[in-house]
Amino acid sequence: MKDIQKQQWVTDVTSVRTDTDLFQQGCVKEITRLNSLSTRGVLALSLFLVVSILAWYGFFFLPEPDAVTAVIGKPPSSRIISVVLLLYTFSAIILSLSRMTANMEHRSSFSHVGYLTAFFIFYYFGKSLEDNYWAVFGSGFTILGVESYRIWTFCAEGISKNREDLEYVTRTGRLPPRE
Amino acid sequence: MFATLAGKALVPVGLAVTGFMVVCCLVLYSVIREDLHRGEIVHATNLADTILKSTRYAMHKSDRETLATIIRNVGEQRGVDHVRIFNKKGVVTFSAKQDEINRQVDKKTEGCIVCHKEGVPVTNPGTMQQARTFKNQNGMGVMAITAPIYNEPDCSSSMCHPPAQKVLGTLDIGLLRSELDRSLAMLRVQMTIFTLMSLILTIGGVAALLRKNVFLPVHRLRIYVESSVHSDSLPEPPPHLPHDLDIIATVFYNIKKGAADSKHNSEQSDDKSSS
Repeated sequence: MKDIQKQQWVTDVTSVRTDTDLFQQGCVKEITRLNSLSTRGVLALSLFLVVSILAWYGFFFLPEPDAVTAVIGKPPSSRIISVVLLLYTFSAIILSLSRMTANMEHRSSFSHVGYLTAFFIFYYFGKSLEDNYWAVFGSGFTILGVESYRIWTFCAEGISKNREDLEYVTRTGRLPPRE
Repeated sequence: MFATLAGKALVPVGLAVTGFMVVCCLVLYSVIREDLHRGEIVHATNLADTILKSTRYAMHKSDRETLATIIRNVGEQRGVDHVRIFNKKGVVTFSAKQDEINRQVDKKTEGCIVCHKEGVPVTNPGTMQQARTFKNQNGMGVMAITAPIYNEPDCSSSMCHPPAQKVLGTLDIGLLRSELDRSLAMLRVQMTIFTLMSLILTIGGVAALLRKNVFLPVHRLRIYVESSVHSDSLPEPPPHLPHDLDIIATVFYNIKKGAADSKHNSEQSDDKSSS
């Protein structure tokens, strides 16, 4: 009877050790993943700055607006593009703040760079890029700034929580209590 | 800064509000500038039409002296940079500046090239295509309009011009942009001040409300908890806390009081058992 109890105890201890080992490995992996994710917002902001520099020099590699509009037709007026830009900026900021409130993990930064590049290109083909350059730049800087902050705080909180869990497992040898 | 409650609450709000207001102001400024520029072009076009209509009779009668006087008088108006009429060959025939008369105009210069880009010049340019902006010799901004003088039936019927000739000449009028530039500069200053004031009000308002309703009560609760932990006596929870924080303070007080009571009871029972 004693042998059976001892065997049961050994099995329990082994399974607990396996669980804690797996948990520690999971924490380390999660910390590495969050570390790499935390730079995503800043990378998107850097990419946007590169696009902005190209826009500042008038997209020298693109064909002349007249040549393109002769083929695909007239672009929307700069006023319509500006209204859409304002609506987009408003929606993107609200969406980002909502995700921040809900503590959601969402990797949308690079798609914003795409949308903002589209605005630059629309203004370029509408021959009003010079007048509206700073509006798109300000919009991009704001949206990507808020997004970077959201991703960075999300990752910082995740890393801190995982480190605390790791520390708890190392100290007690048990899994941390669930929230 | 970013780790504190104040930083976490204020940084995203400040960034979002500041950015959105700046974008709104930039878009609004761009739209207003476009509107003012369009209005200026319409004003210059109307002025050019007025000059053409007032000089038509003098042209019809071939009264060069009256024509020259009209052009000179218009050129002396405040805000007018230049008024001139070219013939078909590009020679200035009438001008408010005497030294320009009989001088050949280069068709490749700014303003002329728009219509003379191709071999056959454009005879019916749109209003916006007629307008051009540049700086004059004094470095002042000028917005100029070129209005073609068409060969109308009464011009060709009086045997002065052959009917096949579509354009007889061009009226070129330039208006100084100094007033418009001054208005835009004033608008920029007003918008910057308005944006700064709105930002200060928004960020200041949010910060003041957060401080009054969140940060100060949380600080009082923190002081209460710390003082309760480090002292032997049990102080009462601080008064006038917001409802949620009041519940936390009361629960903490009850736990602490329960622990103190049980400690007191166990000490009494120890004393009794020892005696």
